[in-house]
Amino acid sequence: MDELFPNELRTRLDQIGEADIVVGIPSYNNARTIGHVVSAVSVGLAKFFPTRRSVIVNSDGGSKDQTKEVVLKTETGADDLLLVSHPIQVSHRISTPYHGLPGKGSAFRTIFAVAKQLKAKACVVVDSDLRSITPGWIELLAQPVLEYEYDYIAPYYHRHKYDGTITNGIIYPMTRTLYGKSVRQPIGGEFGFSGKLAARYLEKDVWDTDVARFGIDIWMTVTAIAEGFRVGQAYLGAKLHDAKDPGSDLTSMFRQVVGSFFSLMESYDGVWKNVRTCEAVPMFGFPFEVGVEPLTVNTDRMIHAAQQGVTDLREIYSSFLSPPTLVDLTNFVHRNGQGFHIPDQLWVRMIYEAAAAYHHRLLDRDHLLQSLVPLYLGRTASFVLEVTESTAPQVEERIEQLCQVFESEKSYLAQHWDTIGKEKFHAQPA
Amino acid sequence: MRSLLDRMFLDPFQRLADQSAHIVPVLVMVLVTLIIGGFVAFVLRWLTYRLLQLARFDHLVQRTGFASMIERTGVFRSPSDLGARFVQAVVWVLVALFALNATDTPASIEMVRRFVDYIPNLLAAGLVLLLGVVVSRMVSRSALLAAVNAQWPAARLIAGGVRVLVMTLAVVIALEQLHVGSLPLLVAFAIVFAGIVFALALAFGLGARDMARQWLEAKVRSSVAEEEVFRHL
Repeated sequence: MDELFPNELRTRLDQIGEADIVVGIPSYNNARTIGHVVSAVSVGLAKFFPTRRSVIVNSDGGSKDQTKEVVLKTETGADDLLLVSHPIQVSHRISTPYHGLPGKGSAFRTIFAVAKQLKAKACVVVDSDLRSITPGWIELLAQPVLEYEYDYIAPYYHRHKYDGTITNGIIYPMTRTLYGKSVRQPIGGEFGFSGKLAARYLEKDVWDTDVARFGIDIWMTVTAIAEGFRVGQAYLGAKLHDAKDPGSDLTSMFRQVVGSFFSLMESYDGVWKNVRTCEAVPMFGFPFEVGVEPLTVNTDRMIHAAQQGVTDLREIYSSFLSPPTLVDLTNFVHRNGQGFHIPDQLWVRMIYEAAAAYHHRLLDRDHLLQSLVPLYLGRTASFVLEVTESTAPQVEERIEQLCQVFESEKSYLAQHWDTIGKEKFHAQPA
Repeated sequence: MRSLLDRMFLDPFQRLADQSAHIVPVLVMVLVTLIIGGFVAFVLRWLTYRLLQLARFDHLVQRTGFASMIERTGVFRSPSDLGARFVQAVVWVLVALFALNATDTPASIEMVRRFVDYIPNLLAAGLVLLLGVVVSRMVSRSALLAAVNAQWPAARLIAGGVRVLVMTLAVVIALEQLHVGSLPLLVAFAIVFAGIVFALALAFGLGARDMARQWLEAKVRSSVAEEEVFRHL
């Protein structure tokens, strides 16, 4: 762990000694937005945990835009308006560069290490480009850990019906199908967790993989569920980001998140194969309706991407999709306009066959994951076209239907997962 | 008189008989070696074919996409057939070397020595070609995926071009190892490649100036739009 702490950080941690709450904020060139986040966190700590010793840790990826200075100089502001009682404990602030591969996961690793070093009881992580964060988020994410002995608190947001399509189309349905816990935002970005769980994360040797990048969120959620930690959710309202997300290239983001999920399926196949039911996860906070920002989606562009993918990547698809799935895919994808549609069952089977192919290494894993991007865009376009006129509750219902298809097809996944070799795999009936 | 007859008729025959006594066993041995070697080569080919079939070699190669290329040559029936014939050819070469060595003439010994000295070059060239095939396949697939995900219309053309480029480099290096004049090939390749790039640059920059501008504008616009659309996570 020593390599994670530069001398300056080590000295600072020695001065602080111990803390009850550590709030981590990963950043990279977020000077424009991080001030608001630091301010909300500081107020949250002062308002809801005035007697707790707390530390705000900014784990930075080498920002060149004064991010560090903003973190250290941001004033809490408006204290008198917000606070009922004045804080007894001072909240410390640290801004430190992280060690390892550039990415959110490496930034989190340093935060876990700081939490362990300070013997923190609870740890909260929040994105540095949030515009909708309020002091209440800190309470909602930390209190269940401090007061009710929860180990992991995932966020629950209201989002636009077109937003979070990797979550809605793959990660949420698969997490609940495989691990039996209905965590609605498994890759939400804001989490609360216990010091015990932070120490467990640090024990894992995953920091040279995609977990060090965008794979960190799903890795944290699945590890917590699969290893039997106590999991809950916190209702945070709406999630609004800064419009520009540096480095969020779709292909690499998709590859890192879905690749990490498939890789976790290998690590925990003894767990998910034995899960038969799905249970609701306790929710903290008071759910309320919120307005979300309007979004525009260019479905024509996505449909074109899917059609081009199915035409140009046919050879790759035929190496991991079963013949009936490939035939169905070709038939559905080459319909234009409103006729374009990728049905739930076809989508689920494609994802399950891809997961099995990843497991059996039927082709280079990186190529496999990249080849899924056009299919994902096609499915997203299909979903958007389908829910254009739907209200938010109707969309939620639609996602629930998709989850049920994922669950009903789980035996199809298990069957392919255990099948050795492509021949047997492709001999399965459609 | 007798001495003259001996010198005219018997001595040549005697010399022929002496030489034959030396050559014929060698020829017989060469012949026997070739016959037995040919038989062994045939048996090994058959065995190799069966073993490859049992190991489902054809299916394995099918996954890499080379099976259709092999079948398209019209020479080999399948990848297993290619493997079996390769083993047969190697055995034939070894048998031929053995037979040549058995003749024990300075020329044959020199030929065998040269061939043995050449084997490392052959192996190196083979290895380079094999690596070229593997690398070209990997790189062209990466290029294809990147181009498709960037929604470039000529994705397959780009991938094919990348493959040809890498394979040409591999062939040039392999020929270099074999000490076969690779310079003409390299020069020809460089001329053709530079010509294509130049032609494309002219076509795009001058012939289709408006299209180039529109395309670049559209690219910039769409990348900005992409950032503003929605969050996937």
